[in-house]
Amino acid sequence: MSQAPVVRLQNVSKRIGSRTIIDRLTLEVNPGEVFGFLGPNGSGKTTTIRMMVGLITMSGGDISIAGHSVKSAFPQAVSHVGAIVENPEMYKFLTGYQNLVHFARMNRGITKQRIDEVIELVGLQGRIHDKVKKYSLGMRQRLGVAQAILHRPSLLILDEPTNGLDPAGIRELRDYLRRLSREEGTAVFVSSHLLSEMELMCDRVAIIQKGQLIDIRSLRGETAETSQAMEEVLFEVDHPDAAIGVLEGRGAANVVEGGFTVTADRETIADLNRRLVMAGVRVYAIRTKIKSLEDQFLEVTGGETVG
Amino acid sequence: MANFWNLVRNENMKIYRRIATWIMMGFVVLVPVLLTVLFSIFSQGEKLNNWEMMLLESQILFQLITIFAVVKAAESVAGEFTMGTIKLLLIRPWSRSSILLSKFISVVLFALFFSVVGFAVTWLINVVVFGYVSDPAGLIPPNSPLTGSSPWAYALMSYLDQFIALVVVVTFGFMLSSAFRSSGLAIGLSIFLLLSGSIVSGLLAIADKPWVKYVLFPHLRLTSYLDGGSPVPNYPTTFAFSLGVLAVYFIIFNIVSWTVFTKRDVAG
Ligand SMILES: Nc1ncnc2c1ncn2[C@@H]1O[C@H](COP(=O)(O)OP(=O)(O)OP(=O)(O)O)[C@@H](O)[C@H]1O
Ligand SMILES: [Mg+2]
Repeated sequence: MSQAPVVRLQNVSKRIGSRTIIDRLTLEVNPGEVFGFLGPNGSGKTTTIRMMVGLITMSGGDISIAGHSVKSAFPQAVSHVGAIVENPEMYKFLTGYQNLVHFARMNRGITKQRIDEVIELVGLQGRIHDKVKKYSLGMRQRLGVAQAILHRPSLLILDEPTNGLDPAGIRELRDYLRRLSREEGTAVFVSSHLLSEMELMCDRVAIIQKGQLIDIRSLRGETAETSQAMEEVLFEVDHPDAAIGVLEGRGAANVVEGGFTVTADRETIADLNRRLVMAGVRVYAIRTKIKSLEDQFLEVTGGETVG
Repeated sequence: MANFWNLVRNENMKIYRRIATWIMMGFVVLVPVLLTVLFSIFSQGEKLNNWEMMLLESQILFQLITIFAVVKAAESVAGEFTMGTIKLLLIRPWSRSSILLSKFISVVLFALFFSVVGFAVTWLINVVVFGYVSDPAGLIPPNSPLTGSSPWAYALMSYLDQFIALVVVVTFGFMLSSAFRSSGLAIGLSIFLLLSGSIVSGLLAIADKPWVKYVLFPHLRLTSYLDGGSPVPNYPTTFAFSLGVLAVYFIIFNIVSWTVFTKRDVAG
């Protein structure tokens, strides 16, 4: 990605009283990127999002969106943003359609066709003229997404968007977000606890804990490229104990059920396989064990639940 | 930036798409009709003309409209916080000042709309029941500044005075609504302001200090000038002075609303 980042947080802090809720957070999100914002309960995800959309002030640092400072050029900065902060609370006494008209009026150039297009996109066409008070949580979530994308923002911020969606809804949202980022170059900033969800939809994730950035990880295209990196591999073999003998101490191996695991680089793995076969060990499978994000997440945050 | 009028249209939509608003309108129409009809049935000896009855009813009517408008002011600001919709409203390419101004305008328009309907209804029902008197004797007191004017001028002036007081009370409710983000408190305290006016005026008469003429409450009764009097007991004031006092309070209330609304964090 060669373009300038869509959003840039620089040393952003938030203090309430003597408590530091967000501590010098610095990160960037690029155009067309789906960026996950991961952290245990109370780690400051919503607080960060509130600062990004100007609902609360920053105690320090600055956030710029499409080059405009949220502090000094709020209307310009926020005109590039569509967002749902926490629950998608809409006007319950209005219909879904009236809600969309309401938010459409607040931006320039949103046509009736665009509203209809967005309704179709989120799949609400059957119920759009019902009062929102009759909507289920999932339907309100969809309406929330609809109001957020009406004006084709270059940054879409979603705070726990899968909350209340059924599996089909989650899948649709995921597909839609990926399409939006690929086809329209929209940067998507999603916060979630659902780690497995993030793995499926994000290009990168930032992990925060107690208001501090702990790590930023890329989730795409790393495993194949980094051939020099050591990987943990599982060999499925018929006689694990005999196989270990064959290795002659190349790599630290552990016997497991139906085989053994070893940490080695790509070339060594191929080498090991050749040796095993030569020694008459039957090799059924060689699998790279990729740590799930969940494992990584728990590792990084120390498995803490509320921080 | 889109057109500012769109913001006012949005606020209007949120007022008039609520059934409660039209129930309020029902009261504004029904209350004068009922009063006139009941009066004409039960008062044998008493003889009132259409103007007198209209102005009598206007006092009840304006209390009602003030309460309704304060409810709308409270819903308009505090309601967005309790519903959580404020988070969607404030993340648009508009300054918070514009959002607040659009809300204030829509509430004042609501009050104006209801006052105009109130004027029309009270005029019409009393003409229908009591007949139209073009030159009523005794309607305008002899020491009134409007002596010799038409009953239209007198009635319109009376409605205008009451409308001005209404706007000040609504501004007060609006301020509480944005300061406390609680519609209940805003409605409660504004109604207190509205109803305690005469009691507080009474207390001020006892206090008998020069500063009493700067206290808000008595000046809400601007109509006392129409009858040749003045609102602050023992301290005669002019109409312009009262308007000035109201204007100062109006500006203070608005500065407080604006400061709180534009500066405070929207969290929780
Ligand atoms: N208005 C406030 N005053 C004081 N503390 C607050 C306020 N808002 C949030 N906090 C604190 O800030 C921390 C971060 O809260 P935040 O809502 O940002 O967490 P989160 O990561 O969104 O959590 P969750 O996953 O539960 O939604 C919490 O410890 C919370 O108690
Ligand atoms: Mg949160």
